[in-house]
Amino acid sequence: MCGIVGYAGDEDALPVLVDGLRRLEYRGYDSAGVCLRTEPLTVYKKAGEVGELASVVPESSDSTCGLGHTRWSTHGEPTDENAHPHLGCDARYAVVHNGIIENYDELRDELEETGHAFESQTDTEVVPHLLEEADGGLVERLSSVVERLEGSYAVACTSAETDEVVVARQDSPLVVGRGEDANYLGSDVTAFVEHTRRVSYLHDGDVARITSGGVEVWNDGARVERDVETVDWDVEAAEKGGYEHYMLKEIHEQPRSLRKTISERTDETEGEALIDVSQDVLTQSRRVEFVACGTSYHAALYARRLFEEHADMPATAEYASEYDGPHDPENTLVVAVTQSGETADTLSATRRAAREGATTLAVTNTVGSTAARETDEVVYIRAGPEIGVAATKTFASQVVTLALVAVAAGRVRDTLPAAEASSILSDLKRVPGAVQKILDNEDAVEDAAAEYGYDDAFFFIGRRLGVSVALEGALKLKEVSYDHAEGFPAGELKHGPLALVTPNTPVLAVLTDGTRPEETLNNVKEVESRGAPVVAVTSTDTDEAKRLADAAFTVPSLGEMEPLLANVYLQLFAYHVARLKDRPIDKPRNLAKSVTVE
Amino acid sequence: MVPVGNRPVLEHVVEALADAGIDELVFVVGYRRERIQTYFGDGGDWDVDIEYVVQEKQLGTGHALLQAEDAVTDEFLVVNGDSIVDASLVSALVSADAPAVAVTRSDQPTDYGVVNVEGGSIVGVEEKPRVYDAETETINAGVYAFDEAVFDEIHARLPGGETSLTDAVVSLSQGRSVDAVRVEGWTDVSHLWDILRVNSEVVETHDEGRADVHPTAHVADGVALGEDTTVGPNATVLPGTALGDNVTVGAGAVVANSVLFTDVRVGENAVVRDSVVAEDARLGPDTTVEGGRADVVVEGELYEGVRLGGVVGDYSDVSGGACLEPGAVLGNDVRVGTGTVVDGRVGSGAEVRR
Repeated sequence: MCGIVGYAGDEDALPVLVDGLRRLEYRGYDSAGVCLRTEPLTVYKKAGEVGELASVVPESSDSTCGLGHTRWSTHGEPTDENAHPHLGCDARYAVVHNGIIENYDELRDELEETGHAFESQTDTEVVPHLLEEADGGLVERLSSVVERLEGSYAVACTSAETDEVVVARQDSPLVVGRGEDANYLGSDVTAFVEHTRRVSYLHDGDVARITSGGVEVWNDGARVERDVETVDWDVEAAEKGGYEHYMLKEIHEQPRSLRKTISERTDETEGEALIDVSQDVLTQSRRVEFVACGTSYHAALYARRLFEEHADMPATAEYASEYDGPHDPENTLVVAVTQSGETADTLSATRRAAREGATTLAVTNTVGSTAARETDEVVYIRAGPEIGVAATKTFASQVVTLALVAVAAGRVRDTLPAAEASSILSDLKRVPGAVQKILDNEDAVEDAAAEYGYDDAFFFIGRRLGVSVALEGALKLKEVSYDHAEGFPAGELKHGPLALVTPNTPVLAVLTDGTRPEETLNNVKEVESRGAPVVAVTSTDTDEAKRLADAAFTVPSLGEMEPLLANVYLQLFAYHVARLKDRPIDKPRNLAKSVTVE
Repeated sequence: MVPVGNRPVLEHVVEALADAGIDELVFVVGYRRERIQTYFGDGGDWDVDIEYVVQEKQLGTGHALLQAEDAVTDEFLVVNGDSIVDASLVSALVSADAPAVAVTRSDQPTDYGVVNVEGGSIVGVEEKPRVYDAETETINAGVYAFDEAVFDEIHARLPGGETSLTDAVVSLSQGRSVDAVRVEGWTDVSHLWDILRVNSEVVETHDEGRADVHPTAHVADGVALGEDTTVGPNATVLPGTALGDNVTVGAGAVVANSVLFTDVRVGENAVVRDSVVAEDARLGPDTTVEGGRADVVVEGELYEGVRLGGVVGDYSDVSGGACLEPGAVLGNDVRVGTGTVVDGRVGSGAEVRR
């Protein structure tokens, strides 16, 4: 997913373009660029978020026409060179593009034979060179170029000669905004809705010219008119697709994002996890050290157990900010778990490990992020953009991705039999459906939030894999509801925290498979005898837990993935408590999505 | 959301609306609206703007429309989300003067609202008549063009409890002319066997795309494969079948003329014919759904000789060696024990053992 903006009007184009890119940043934020119509064309582009671009462009310009792009790369590094806009050989044409040009190889070969030189690895760059080869004005040129393109695209281009943006679309969205003496272009209306609410949606096969004076559209060579509509909605709500908050939207996206996480990575028939990490790294390392912060740290705590079990290697998880370097660098694999790939503490810990000679692996959501670039190996969690500051779907995708890496390690190290691997992979494939089943039970969690959400403090307990989920459940509640919440290993309760337990401190207990529930039940009894209400998340077949608890939620039977399912209930609990208290759920005070300072 | 050809019925409707040039949609959603919101978002993928309004209590289709009162102005169309319409049908209603109702012919008029038309106008609607006059087998296709006057009619009827759109149409027709617009291109999929039939018409060629089909498996033409569907060694997938995303068909299994929703798992050597298997259901190894015709009772109505091998609800788990007799219908989250033979209807949440 990428975002495109364009402008032709009577004001300075630069701030309009940069603001539009900020609005579209949810569509991708690993590189961004703008092109201003000047002679020759002026291009600013930069790897990183739109903010990075904003820091290198001047405050104002003389240009009144231009285009911009923000990129979410799934293939190819988000370097400065690969950032859009792309120019041809002599900076006469600039192009931005959203989509995939499938026959780009063949077009590139042909262009290179006739002497065109390419600077990037993108498919997009063929377009400005093809524009140079074509004849006529920009509309004629782009019309003839798109006839040669196969695939899906929304392309926008501008030339050094005239103040116009010319666009074409096929299977990728493009909207034109119609203002007074200015017209706009965007991948969606959020790009320009602050300037005009009068819009026209382009159709497949349309070629359009946007100038300060108007918008002209052609389809199949003939002039056509596209209806002008008035959009009438709140910019932010439109992006949430009917949900009140990004956090809830992202919680509900988990079945879909998890299907992407496991896509083409499981071979149940052969019992193999298809993960692109060097076999040598997995076989030669003697120990694994996870470094991470916040929610990612909790995913690492989950994963370290899976590594010890499946790959039979000692594995530790440390807060990145507390990391003192690898114990035995030559034989240690250091795994950096970071959603953004830019978390400063994690980067710093990973750099230190690399400096001391350890092999490094990044597990991240962001293609081409600093973590991905700097480590020896990288595995992507494929959760898609996460906008809510409280991480939800990325935790689930981190755990599942790390489980796949643990299985891959167990197989190449010959510590995990194929039959057992096949059964774990089968469980991983069942996670998306099982999460959906829990989401279908949201009403019951909402009731529990209403019943217990106003108490004094909240304690989350579990054992083994349940510890990471207890910590994560408490963190979610803190982040979004501002309540005092703590997670503990269940056995630690009696060594201190039990002193805090009262009839007004609900205890949320993780009692699923993978958490030694029969032992934790003793702790449940301890807190119940002090009068604390107990909310339990249990396996399907544990009647005793259901009998003891004041409220019980069950997860589908899924072995060591059950604690991950329990976490979905805790996400919903945190969300609904916060919602009842009317907290700014998507923008908790003092917090930011990706913490890029140490 | 029930899929036909691996796409929800509602998506077929949204596409028809978009093709007919409608780009502002209001979805009236209720129970389990999240799946619809997650799937459609703000409509960008279909080049439409979707706004959501919530019907908190299910008090009829008229009450549902009322929830959209603040979201629409002047003239607008109202479309049911659970039957498939063509863009041409939508266009016919767009060009009609509101109020107007799309009507079509059906050979099963007793299943629907039978419309009495005089001089091109609606003079009455009878819901699911027991007997009907063969000359009036014109039924309500569930697509309407209204103006804001319809809200007054619904408000007037609200104190009576549940209120349907047909009630509103009948009231409107008493004060002014309600045009009956004759249309083609309406496909009802309210019965499960309709889904199988329409699905088999829609799936023509399969695009293996990102499915993982074992080299020894056979996937016929006329099969739709979702993303990351896995078809194991020596498995056979026969025509009329749609396998949703992340479906797993085990080694040696046979799936024919069936619709398997997302995340379904079919065990080794299972046979699944003429069946609808809903989300995340599991059929164990050697499960047999023989398929064929059966007499099926739905909401007290007997439907004779319909082609329906079996239905398995969301999250249901059928253990190895179980058999479903033709026409067996399992609700959601049903557990069926090893080797059990199941016939007739099994309610949601039930456990069936040998």
